[in-house]
Amino acid sequence: MIRAVIVMNTQGKPRLLKFYEFQPPEKQHELTRSVFAVLSGRPDNVSNFVEADAIFGPGTRLVYKHLATLYFVFVFDSCENELAMLDLIQVLVETLDRCFKNVCELDIVFNFNKMHTILDEIIFGGQVLETSSERVLKAVEEISRLEKSSSSVSFVPKSVSGRFGR
Amino acid sequence: MALTGMRGLSVFISDVRNCQNKEQERLRVDKELGNIRTRFKNEKALTHYKKKKYVWKMLYIYMLGYDVDFGHMEAVSLISAPKYPEKQVGYIVTSCLLTENHEFLRMVINTVRNDIIGRNETFQCLALTMVGNIGGKEFSESLATDVQKLLVSSSCRPLVRKKAALCLLRLYRKNPDVNIDGWSDRMSQLLDERDLGVLTSVMSLFVALVSNNVEAYWNCLPKCVKILERLGRNQDVPQEYTYHGIPSPWIQVKTMRALQYFPTIEDPNTRRALFEVLQRILMGTDVVKNVNKNNAAHAILFEALALVVHLDAEKEMMSQCVALLGKFVAVREPNIRYLGLENMTRMLLVSDVQDIIKSHQAQIIISLKDPDISIRRRALDLLYGMCDVTNAKDIVEELLQYLNTADFAMREELALKAAILAEKFAPDLSWYVDVILQLIDKAGDFVSDDIWYRVVQFVTNNEDLQPYAATKAREYLEKPVLHETMVKVSAYLLGEYNHLLARRTGCTPKEIFIIINEKLPTVTTSTVAILLSTYAKILMHNHPPDPELQKQIWSIFRKYESYIDVEIQQRAVEYIALCNKGAALVDVLAEMPKFPERQSALLKKAEVAEVNTAEQSAIRIRSQQQTSNALVVTDQRPTEGSLPVSQLGVVRMPSGKMEASTQDQTSFQDQGMTKENGVITEVVPQDVPPSDILGDLLGPLAINGSPATAVPVEQRNQNLLSVVEATPEAAGSLALTTVDNQPNSIQPIVNIAERFNELCLKDSGVLYEDPHIQIGIKAEWQAHHGHIVLFLGNKNTSPLVSVQALILPPTHLKMELSLVPETVPPRAQVQCPLEFVNLRASRDVAVLDFSYKFGTAMVYVKLRLPAVINKFLQPISVTAEEFFAQWKSLSGPPLKLQEVLRGVKPLSLPEMANLFTSLHLAVNPGIDTNPNNLIACTTFYSESTRATLCLIRVETDPSDRTQLRITIASVDPTLTFELKERIKEYLVNIPTQTPSAVVAPSQPQSPVTPVAYNDPGAMLAGLL
Repeated sequence: MIRAVIVMNTQGKPRLLKFYEFQPPEKQHELTRSVFAVLSGRPDNVSNFVEADAIFGPGTRLVYKHLATLYFVFVFDSCENELAMLDLIQVLVETLDRCFKNVCELDIVFNFNKMHTILDEIIFGGQVLETSSERVLKAVEEISRLEKSSSSVSFVPKSVSGRFGR
Repeated sequence: MALTGMRGLSVFISDVRNCQNKEQERLRVDKELGNIRTRFKNEKALTHYKKKKYVWKMLYIYMLGYDVDFGHMEAVSLISAPKYPEKQVGYIVTSCLLTENHEFLRMVINTVRNDIIGRNETFQCLALTMVGNIGGKEFSESLATDVQKLLVSSSCRPLVRKKAALCLLRLYRKNPDVNIDGWSDRMSQLLDERDLGVLTSVMSLFVALVSNNVEAYWNCLPKCVKILERLGRNQDVPQEYTYHGIPSPWIQVKTMRALQYFPTIEDPNTRRALFEVLQRILMGTDVVKNVNKNNAAHAILFEALALVVHLDAEKEMMSQCVALLGKFVAVREPNIRYLGLENMTRMLLVSDVQDIIKSHQAQIIISLKDPDISIRRRALDLLYGMCDVTNAKDIVEELLQYLNTADFAMREELALKAAILAEKFAPDLSWYVDVILQLIDKAGDFVSDDIWYRVVQFVTNNEDLQPYAATKAREYLEKPVLHETMVKVSAYLLGEYNHLLARRTGCTPKEIFIIINEKLPTVTTSTVAILLSTYAKILMHNHPPDPELQKQIWSIFRKYESYIDVEIQQRAVEYIALCNKGAALVDVLAEMPKFPERQSALLKKAEVAEVNTAEQSAIRIRSQQQTSNALVVTDQRPTEGSLPVSQLGVVRMPSGKMEASTQDQTSFQDQGMTKENGVITEVVPQDVPPSDILGDLLGPLAINGSPATAVPVEQRNQNLLSVVEATPEAAGSLALTTVDNQPNSIQPIVNIAERFNELCLKDSGVLYEDPHIQIGIKAEWQAHHGHIVLFLGNKNTSPLVSVQALILPPTHLKMELSLVPETVPPRAQVQCPLEFVNLRASRDVAVLDFSYKFGTAMVYVKLRLPAVINKFLQPISVTAEEFFAQWKSLSGPPLKLQEVLRGVKPLSLPEMANLFTSLHLAVNPGIDTNPNNLIACTTFYSESTRATLCLIRVETDPSDRTQLRITIASVDPTLTFELKERIKEYLVNIPTQTPSAVVAPSQPQSPVTPVAYNDPGAMLAGLL
């Protein structure tokens, strides 16, 4: 099963943390830091696999993708296929890209709640739920509609979120 | 404006982003937390909308790594909100913040259930998602049926059904009691699913069910092959599930994974169909430009390779696989090369292909120099796995060369692996010595003590090797800069064998002394100790005596006579005293005797270090298959009794200790232990398989020589007799003193005995607690299986280090303890699962030897684990007829035992019934017509017998509650007896008086104290 999904930026700031086996916050923080320490030391153009035994315990594996200012990291056990996990990261990224129209770090920072919604449509309790980003998008749009119709919530559009950024 | 919804949240996020440093961030977060806390506390009528906003903020703060220890109630309460947005937040945040056992969750079970069985699909999805993420046993009990219904319902949308499938998977994992009878047919229907989204989830559920019980799902096997055929031919696959032109790679991969749980495929048609699919995958996958397409295609390919290997395909297909892998280990694309190396390692298990793999050796060695450490590791693993007598020299020399440039993170592993290969496959012994000495020379910092102990063992046991090793040691001493480990091993070897070099130039005792003594000022105390022993040995070999050398050495001994380190001080004093004994010196300091044969501590260590995954077990299995035929430490130790005490080498003990050890010996001998040379040798090591938990656990114990504890003799008799097998290694190194022994200054803050007794009657609670650590326990019992999780909670703000947990299992329990991390980080809780299998009835108790270090204080504690006989009981109700039929058929001892108990704790009948219930005995009212009597029934589970019915009858005297008569019957006399004794303990004894675990201060002077030893001789012996 998938143990954790971590999205963080290249400075090591967590942008989305989801652990499918409960970890207390200090532990989450520590794990994120250890992952960052490993990833930040890796050059470009190397494999996307890292042994995670030392961080997450025996038998765990980690795949990651480094895109612009973000690391997308999936941690999982030996029941999953590494390349399939790498593909799943791609599905997540493609979905985000369609959702936010050329996703960038700011989108993720200000819409971290929406990130949870999207992730929940792709991974469910550590298992792969949906691999078609069209389908994920449909489900997420449905949820957004529901949110809008019941109250005045909406997501922060990029033009506005930019104002808050540095 | 768009922001009106969650303006506060956005403002807060950008405030945090704008903080210049961590301190500012903390201030801002604290301010916000304070604000939220006040709002939650004071504004009783907070709107759902406001609550939602605060709860999102909490989640954000939580993600930043701050503890949010309040507001959980508010998050949970949002689940009951009527509107979607609030409900959604409630569900999402709850699944992130709470654990499955959180008490608040219990309060919303009903709401969750209503959402699941309700008509609103979006609510169903939310509820399923939360349950699928954090649902525990209680959710499982109340929701499993409803979730099953959703999964098979024809009226539900795929969106709901796919979530129901995975939710069910979670509930099933949390509670294996979930009724899945008849699921094989249902599963088979589910695998016909046309919607690929639902099929993805169903396949994950299927994998989980099959991994648990493959027998029940044979009927699904052809369905899996059908799915692969459908996807392989791209039939009926909608565009949205085609990924770069490949029909759902995930389902293909998962299906092939599922097939690997079936031991074989017997039906020839199915097998043929599957192999056609596999063949097409093997042939039709090429490395292409598009990275994502490449990944997807190769995900399928690698899974197909694994399946082919699993199915033990014909040789032709296997060779095809190896050829493909050979191609992959040479490609540039790093991911493919990584997996190529990994899968080739897995291929090592397949017979007949080793030679083809070996032909790629040069290519693999190139990957050992790849810029990516992940790839280097895989290459190292593969080289390690493929090494045998034919290529050992090449590979080991390659590893040695690589050692110079390898990154620090890998050096220790590299050194260990090189040492193991050298040991296992050495074409000749002198080569082995060369390799190890080179290793120490090049990477001394990364060579663990075990490695040099091992080379000393070999040299000691092989006389032919001794002059060579001594010469080599002498050569290395010429080097101007020498690693300290090299000083140790050289000094040790030259101390033992300097006389073998006597005729060579530069090798007189005096010259050897001088060259060794040059190192003395630069080394640490542990090496000084070895050097002193070496000097004593040089002195002993010095014939005719050279007065000047004697004077020099004596002056050094004198200098250390008052040295601050007790170990060194003691050696100096004793060697001086020995020197005055004249001829006796020769006896006392004679060469070390040969070491008894045993499994290499290195191999053991490597096994422990190896990761416990299916993939890597390939290497381990292979390393077990290949016995080290090249080098064997021969066991030529003299028979017991023929060895005079005076040949003890440097291991000596004062007479008082001798007596103590003799006493000890008598108690050990009963357990099949003999002792000689101050070392306890296990007589039955062959009975212990290499993977045996004892062996693995004892490895580190012996190596570390961790400070042991004093166990009062009566304690030992009471608790440890059955487990004493495990203690001799700790007790083995009988020695004079220890350098780092410290008495326990830390006392438990709970009554350990009481805790144990409580935990015997319930399944979770605190087992032990002191000012630094709390050890909690949570147990689940299923027939003869037990599953205990130890929760090690560090209460401090600094880490607990050197954490060790060793289990001394009694003979009637099979146990497996997962790895215990060496460090418990500050304020963190670590979980250590522990599996039990009950073999037979016994009242013996498993003991957990737990130790950790806080600051400089070593804390050591023995804790009894509540895996007691009554945990393997399952209450059962029987009718009066059944009862009496059984009761009559079991007539008299030893199957039926009766005893009158006096001095019973006065208990009313309901109280006694409660006690029985907590002991897993079902009280069956109405069978006995006498209201003062109690009938209870239960079934006992063990691996060999499965369920054994036990009948219990208690007759009480209403006028005198302190006495009663108890009768117990079962078909197993041992069980009858053990159960009677166990129940008696509860009825008669006041449990708190039974001594259980002690936190015993380590007292080096106590007669029965086994003490860690710092002498290399004894440590080597300890290794054996």
